[in-house]
Amino acid sequence: MSVLAPPEPIAVERIRRDLPGTATVLRVELAKLREQLAMRVLLAVCVLAPLGFATVMRIQGAVPADTLFGRWAKTTGFASPLTVLGFAGSWGFPLLAGIVAGDMFSSEDRYGTWKTLLTRSCSRGVVFAGKGLAACVCAIVGVCVLALSGLVSSVLLVDTDPLVGLSGQLVSPGRAVALVLSSWAYSLLPVLSFVALGLMLSVVTRSGIAGVLGPPVVALVMQLLTLLGPGEIVRAVLPTTPFDGWHGLFVEPVHARPVFQGAETSIVYTGVFLAVAWHVFSRRAIAGSEAVPHRRRQVQLRTAIGATAVVVLLAAGSGWGPTDITAKRLERTITPTFERLVVLQYRWRTDRDPGNATLHAITTCRRGGGSRPARGAGDDWTCVVKLVSPELTAKSMTLDLTVRPNGCYTAQAPPSIIGPLVLRDARGKAFVNPLFAFDGCFGTT
Amino acid sequence: MAAVAAIETDGLVKRFGETLAVDDLSMRVEQGAVRGLLGRNGAGKTTVFRILFGLLRPESGSVRLFGRDAKPDDVLVRDGIAGFVEEPRFYPYLSARRNLELLGQLDGDHRHDAGDLLELVGLGTHVGQKVGNFSTGMRQRLGLAASLLRRPRLLLLDEPTIGLDPASAATVRALIRQLADHGVTVFLSSHNMSEVDELCDTVVIVDRGRVVWDGTLERLRHEAPAPAYTLVTTDDGRAFELGRERARLDVTFADRGRRLTVRADDAARNDYVVALGRAGIAVQLLEPVAAPLEALFEQLTGGEPTSAER
Repeated sequence: MSVLAPPEPIAVERIRRDLPGTATVLRVELAKLREQLAMRVLLAVCVLAPLGFATVMRIQGAVPADTLFGRWAKTTGFASPLTVLGFAGSWGFPLLAGIVAGDMFSSEDRYGTWKTLLTRSCSRGVVFAGKGLAACVCAIVGVCVLALSGLVSSVLLVDTDPLVGLSGQLVSPGRAVALVLSSWAYSLLPVLSFVALGLMLSVVTRSGIAGVLGPPVVALVMQLLTLLGPGEIVRAVLPTTPFDGWHGLFVEPVHARPVFQGAETSIVYTGVFLAVAWHVFSRRAIAGSEAVPHRRRQVQLRTAIGATAVVVLLAAGSGWGPTDITAKRLERTITPTFERLVVLQYRWRTDRDPGNATLHAITTCRRGGGSRPARGAGDDWTCVVKLVSPELTAKSMTLDLTVRPNGCYTAQAPPSIIGPLVLRDARGKAFVNPLFAFDGCFGTT
Repeated sequence: MAAVAAIETDGLVKRFGETLAVDDLSMRVEQGAVRGLLGRNGAGKTTVFRILFGLLRPESGSVRLFGRDAKPDDVLVRDGIAGFVEEPRFYPYLSARRNLELLGQLDGDHRHDAGDLLELVGLGTHVGQKVGNFSTGMRQRLGLAASLLRRPRLLLLDEPTIGLDPASAATVRALIRQLADHGVTVFLSSHNMSEVDELCDTVVIVDRGRVVWDGTLERLRHEAPAPAYTLVTTDDGRAFELGRERARLDVTFADRGRRLTVRADDAARNDYVVALGRAGIAVQLLEPVAAPLEALFEQLTGGEPTSAER
């Protein structure tokens, strides 16, 4: 057909019903993203970062012992993906969300292409949905690539030994794979809430910088807020809290409440952020340069004032509500964990099962040597564990604990009693002493 | 019964803060017509285009496109309506072809090949070049190609030849004329009076958002004042006196007395020049100040003529 073919004459009869939908916009947006250097770099980082981490773990002597599962990074291939997941939850995922979503709308402002895009045959609703889905697809692909790259590379480079869980239990390789993948899959929900945050910032501020850096900055501020006060109310509603929900999967018995609560929180935030973004986008006037700067400054000012007010309010409320970090709860979680780890150490050291030997621990925890109320996060907790066993002389030891606001702790035991970091089994093979220092978690939500 | 208009606006009003950009604007563009929208910078032309495209929501008034109410974001009603507002913009990291292919997907059909369209607008040798490296004129031509992708029955073109070199501008004008000959309705804005003269059947002149003149170019020419000329002679004082005595001719001093301005139709001007020669006054310079259409434009809008030719 000639380019200059005459148009069909009667307007009303020419009305089409086969207008492009969300899937078309999604395809177009993904095609645009594929052509962008930032997206290619991001994908490469998602593939290479976990691989690099696993490689470093294999060749260097030290392990990231201050991170959950980090001390097992050289022992089992299932630990590294979880360590990476822990890092990612702090700032990696918010940054990933910012990169894939934060410039999704503002790039059209930067290139001046709204008038090109919105004068085609797609409604604003379809454009909004397509762009939002494209950001979600990119985020999901990024998270999946990170997870698979982390799991495959560390399993290949390290080992497939069982994983020591957060209650001192041994997790079989098969179950470890399932739990690792479940943890990453669950993390998609909070990631998507940050994607929605990036989209909202992109729409409201029309600034790629605000959209990309906003989510990691928000995550950082949220983490600082959790350090301000011991109250549980504010912590429970922060969008970063769900990133810790997967810890409950590695506790025995599985603590599912944080997972569900984190999912709920993430879904609510996703909905709220998207609703605000749509509200602004659907009403936006695509005006010329003469109309934009004045209103844009107003919007940016209002956004900044609103964000500051929310942070101040959250900071003021950081002490509200009870704390779930109490001496009683610590004692309840440390006792069985310690008992299991003692058995595990015995088994690894002697290559024998303790059989019917009974072991009983009694734990008493306090904070600041008893001078402070025994509740809340801090690095001044101590727990005295008294081991009672018919086969052993009663032993008592003091554990130094660092308890984090998310309900996870690291316990350091005295080497004079539990032995050095590296022990050897009956055949002379070295292994990491599971009692030297150990991590555990108990739900705080 | 009157034919359904391609565009019909009624009482459009649009403000930006305190600025009234469009003020009670009503007009029609008949199907198959080539209609020009003229006005000084800031007269509200681009705002009208943005409202027609659905990019802006007017405070009051209505827009009907081919007889149907065109609410903002009503893509069904705007099917087959194409063009651009201000300078066309594209994704700079994509090639010209890829830009058109993706835009074609967003139009929901692929009846035109991107390569053919790029060839048509003179970008055949730049199909694979990234748009970020395009000049303003090349982007303008790409904008036209992107418009044709939609198989338009109504083209809305905001300054379609701005930034183009004379040869490219002539090519674009010829293309617009061809499209109009094939029945496409064209509504264009321009600063270039000779372009309007060449392309348009009718024009709307707007000033401060209001329609100040609406009619055919023929009527516009008829109502246009006599053309003005700058005159420099060997004796401007005597030339002035001679001119004052003549009918159908208006002569005044200009440029602090260094030259004369003469307003007259062609016949009166010729008679005056002959008379100057007979009086022994040599004409050193006689050149047009403004074309008639520009003069009328200036008169209607109270502004400087904005012809691109000047």
